[in-house]
Order: sequence, then C-alpha cells, then structure tokens
Amino acid sequence: MNRENESNSYSDAALESPPLIALRNVSRQFDAGAITALTDVDLEIRAGDCVAVVGASGSGKSSLVNLLCGIDYPSAGTVLWKGQPVRKQADWARLRRTRIGIVFQEFNLIPTLTALENVELALFGLGMSTVRRQTRAAILLERVGLEARMHNRVTTLSGGERQRVAIARAVANEPLLLLADEPTGSLDSSNALLVVDLLFKLHNDANMAIVLVTHDEKLAARCRRQIRIKDGHIVESAGMALVAPSIVGAAGS
Amino acid sequence: MNLAGLARRNLARRPVRTCLSILGIGLAVGSALALMSLSHSIQDGMREGINEMGDDLVVMQKGASDIFGGFIPERTIERVAAIPGVARASGELFMFAPSADGSSVLAQGWPDTSYLWKKVPLREGRVPDAGEHGVAVLGDAAAAALGKKLGDNILILGDTFKIIGIANYTTAVNRGVTLLPLTDLQKISHRPEQVTMVHLNVARGESPVELKRIKTAIEALGDLSASTANEMLDQDRNFAILDAVSLAISIIAIVMGGIYVLNALVMATQERTREIGIFTAIGWSQRRIMASIVVEGILMCVIGCALGLALSFLAALAFPYIPAIGNLVSFRPSARLIVLVMMAAFGLCVLGSLFPAWRAVRMLPAEALRRI
Repeated sequence: MNRENESNSYSDAALESPPLIALRNVSRQFDAGAITALTDVDLEIRAGDCVAVVGASGSGKSSLVNLLCGIDYPSAGTVLWKGQPVRKQADWARLRRTRIGIVFQEFNLIPTLTALENVELALFGLGMSTVRRQTRAAILLERVGLEARMHNRVTTLSGGERQRVAIARAVANEPLLLLADEPTGSLDSSNALLVVDLLFKLHNDANMAIVLVTHDEKLAARCRRQIRIKDGHIVESAGMALVAPSIVGAAGS
Repeated sequence: MNLAGLARRNLARRPVRTCLSILGIGLAVGSALALMSLSHSIQDGMREGINEMGDDLVVMQKGASDIFGGFIPERTIERVAAIPGVARASGELFMFAPSADGSSVLAQGWPDTSYLWKKVPLREGRVPDAGEHGVAVLGDAAAAALGKKLGDNILILGDTFKIIGIANYTTAVNRGVTLLPLTDLQKISHRPEQVTMVHLNVARGESPVELKRIKTAIEALGDLSASTANEMLDQDRNFAILDAVSLAISIIAIVMGGIYVLNALVMATQERTREIGIFTAIGWSQRRIMASIVVEGILMCVIGCALGLALSFLAALAFPYIPAIGNLVSFRPSARLIVLVMMAAFGLCVLGSLFPAWRAVRMLPAEALRRI
C-alpha cells in the first residue's frame, strides 16, 4: 500500500482534502436511551494526526473509539470516512481490514494461537498467500521486538509482550488510522513506556493518524491534540488541530 | 495457518466440550445407523434364511399378510410338485411356538419325506427318521439360548420333544429355529393337514421365463401366490410395518442428533463470542467468520461421524454374542445406509453450524468484545 500521497499531514493537499474520519452530531445511547454515552459529538481526524482522548472512566472515551472504527454504531449522527458516510457493516469491515488498526486495553488476542498466527489473522482477506502472510507477520513482530517469541503461544507472553503483538496486528494492514484504547491500562510502568514509545515510533515512521485514549495526562501531552470528554460531551480541545481552511472559516464566522 | 487449522486449535482448546460434542454426534449417528441397519438386517436375515434353504420359489396362501399368516392345505404340496418343471417341493408349517418358562421358539415343521431334512447342516446328532415322532433338531443359536444339548428334552406348546440333532446353519434366522416333524407340529398347534408355505426348486435353474411360467401354473391352482424370497418379503405386511417403524425411529434419532449438534455448536459459538468480536474488529468479513464457524462444525461432524460409524461396527461385532439379538437377526450396516446416514448427519452439521454462525455475525462487534 502506498500511503505517501494520501497521508502527508502537513501538506496543503491534506488540509484541503476531507478529513480521514469525521463524526457529525454523533450520539450514542444504550438501553433504549436510558444511558447516554455520547451526545452531539463533532470530531475530525486528519491524515497523520495525533490525538489524545482523555476523560474519567465512563465519560464516553471508549464509546468514541468504538464509533471511530465502526465496531459500534451511532444512535444519531453520521460517521464519515474521507467525506463519505459509512453505514454498512461490510464497509466498516473493509475499512478495518485495510485502513484502520485497533489496539485494545485487554489485548484481545486469540489465546490458542502463537504471536505470529495472531498477527497473521489480520492479513486474511488481503489477497496474500500463506507464505507472504507469515513473512509479513514475522517482519512486524521483529519491528516490535518480538522476533524471538513469535512462535510462542500468546498465553505464555507477558502483558507488555502481548500488547506488542496486538500493536503488530493492528499495524499489519498499514492503516491510515490507528486507534489505541487505553493501550497501557493493563501494563506496568516500564512496559507501558515501551508500548507508548512503540506507538509513537510507528506513528512517526508510517505517518499514520493515531487516536490514543488514556487516563495519563503526561502521555496525552505527547500528542499534538488533546480532547477531553466529560459526560459524553467534548468539553475541551487543546493543541494544534489539523483543521481544513473551510472549517476554520466556518468556525470563525 | 488456515481456517481448518484455526478450527482445530479451537476444538483442542476446549477438550472436554469438544469430546462431549463429538460423542453426542457419534452417538446420534451410531444410533441412527444401528436402528436402520437393524431394520434392514431383520429383512435381510429372513431373506438369507430362506435363500439358505435354496428355494427358487415360495408358495403361500394368496393374500396372506405375512409369512406366518397364510395356511395352505397339505395336499396342495403334491399338486404343486406335479406341475411340469418343478423339481421338488416341500411344505412347511412355520410359527412362533411357546416353550417353557414363557419363552418361545421359532418352530418349523417339515414332512418326513421332505428334501429339506437332507439339506440340514448337522453339527451333531441326526435328523428324524421317517415316521419318527417326538423329536426335534435345534439350530445352534437356539440350543445355546435355551441352554439345551443333544439328548435333552424341550417343551413346545405343552408337548415334550427330545433333541436328536443340532444344526449348524449360517444365517441368524436359521440358527435360531427348532425343526420338528410336520405332523407333530400340526398336532400340537391344532393345524392338522395344514402348512404355512411350500418351498420349491425348479428343474431348469432360475430362468426368469421358466419361473414365470411355473408361478402362473401354481397360481392357476387357486388361492395361491408364488414368488421368490425377495418378492415375498417385499409384500410382507410385518416387514412393511417394521420398515415404517424403523424409518420413524431413525428420523427421530437423526433429528435428535441434529438438535444435539445444533446445541453443541450454538454453545461452542456462544463461548467464542469474544473471539468472533476480535475477528470482526480486525476486519474479517461476515462470510469469513461464518466460514470459520462452519469449518469447525464440519470438523466435529467428520470426527463424530467416524466415531458413530465405529460404534455401529462395534455393535455389529457385539450383537451376535447377545442371544436375544443374535438369535434372531444378523446386524450389518450396509454401505448404502452408511452413506445415507453420513450425508444426513453432514447436512445437519452444516445447517447446525450456519445458524450459530449467522447469530454470531449479527452481534454488534463492540458488544461481542465485552463478553468474557
């Protein structure tokens, strides 16, 4: 996949083109409206963006990430990928297969499989031969420093190692957008630092947009933008946003 | 790694559930196969039993509902034997007759001069002499089941008979018979000068044209029907009922097996909800996820079918050693039945795994990932 032309975050072309993903007046309610997770959220993520989402537990951070990758659907509002609304589950599946990577707090690896096989799973459906899948998975695991443990079952790996497998799996499809939902939440401080450094390295190397959900203010500060969520609303947006000129104009008027 | 490899790992991850599911499928397949085989074996056993006698045609009372049901005057034997082309004919009175202790024996009475006596494959002893009464020849399985040996007495319909021979037939039905002089059986069963059927051989082999001519000639004698052993059993009302009952039981067994398979796969898929959520989260299409579940179902089905087949063969080996079964029927699953049952089981497994697969992919991925 050649990303160079579509993800230069600092180019004028990137600013003029529609955002990578955008939420328009998105709300999410559960239990037939009894619980409101998000209310009228507007958000844009551009190619190469680095966004931290912070907020207390239950504020709606994870709901936001779930909507950004289509594993959950809004009760109201629209999610747009490069300006086009995405509604069908099959379209979301295709995006997650080819354009979006997700890292979860709980790793979400398949326990019966090895590290290599877990990464390989993300390469199914991309038209690769088994050998090519395995080679690519091995390269990715080398990149996250797990070349010596790639044939180990993930249940035999430490938490930090598991999260690195999960990161390798998330970037296997060379995503344009990487979503990381509390990626250090289950890790000790040294492993957390290792994982965070790895995520930022991947973000810088591949110039992929990254959305990082975290409680950690220091970690959030490493991102170009910080979004604070409270009771389902975006209450604060700080840092340098990559906003298209037309939207700046609209906001200023 | 491919979908089959993934399915294999999943099955290995939950060995107890997998083994129980496979056992369930195996028992369902095995019992369906056993039930259907038993039904067919009863007919085949009877057919083989008659064939072992070497009959070309069997004559019965016209309209008799089954092989026990018709009665023919004994003098008809001579009229049948007199038809040109008939090499030899023998009457037979055939019935289940009460013995001692509430048990019953499959009793056959043959005339003193019947050629059938000469064809008895004796293991020990002898057949009755002409005019000899109060004697019996037992099939070896009947002797074993009744605990009788040469020289013992056997009570049939209240009369005592001395066992003078043990026959060594090969078919299960004939191994279970008790052979008596016709006049004795007629007397104790109050059927004087009556037989149930007439066995006959034709002079010129089994030419269909010749058989047809002789059949027509026999039926022209009035109130008689002549048929080959196969035709006779096909018309037998008891076997038709047996067929219907065994088909119904087999359908029940297969449906129960199918429900078990469905239940096993629904439970297995439910346990994998989170895993399915992971597949969805990494972009697997619904079709691929469904395929992974169906492959797992098929894998369990293949192993379950093999187990069921093995169980039915084990039953086939064991049943002859159980007197209550082995004395009456030989149990052999046929290739046709095996293919039929396997195809039904396979179809049910595919359908049984499609349903939980369809349910699984309809779930919201975020919801699936929240499952433990």
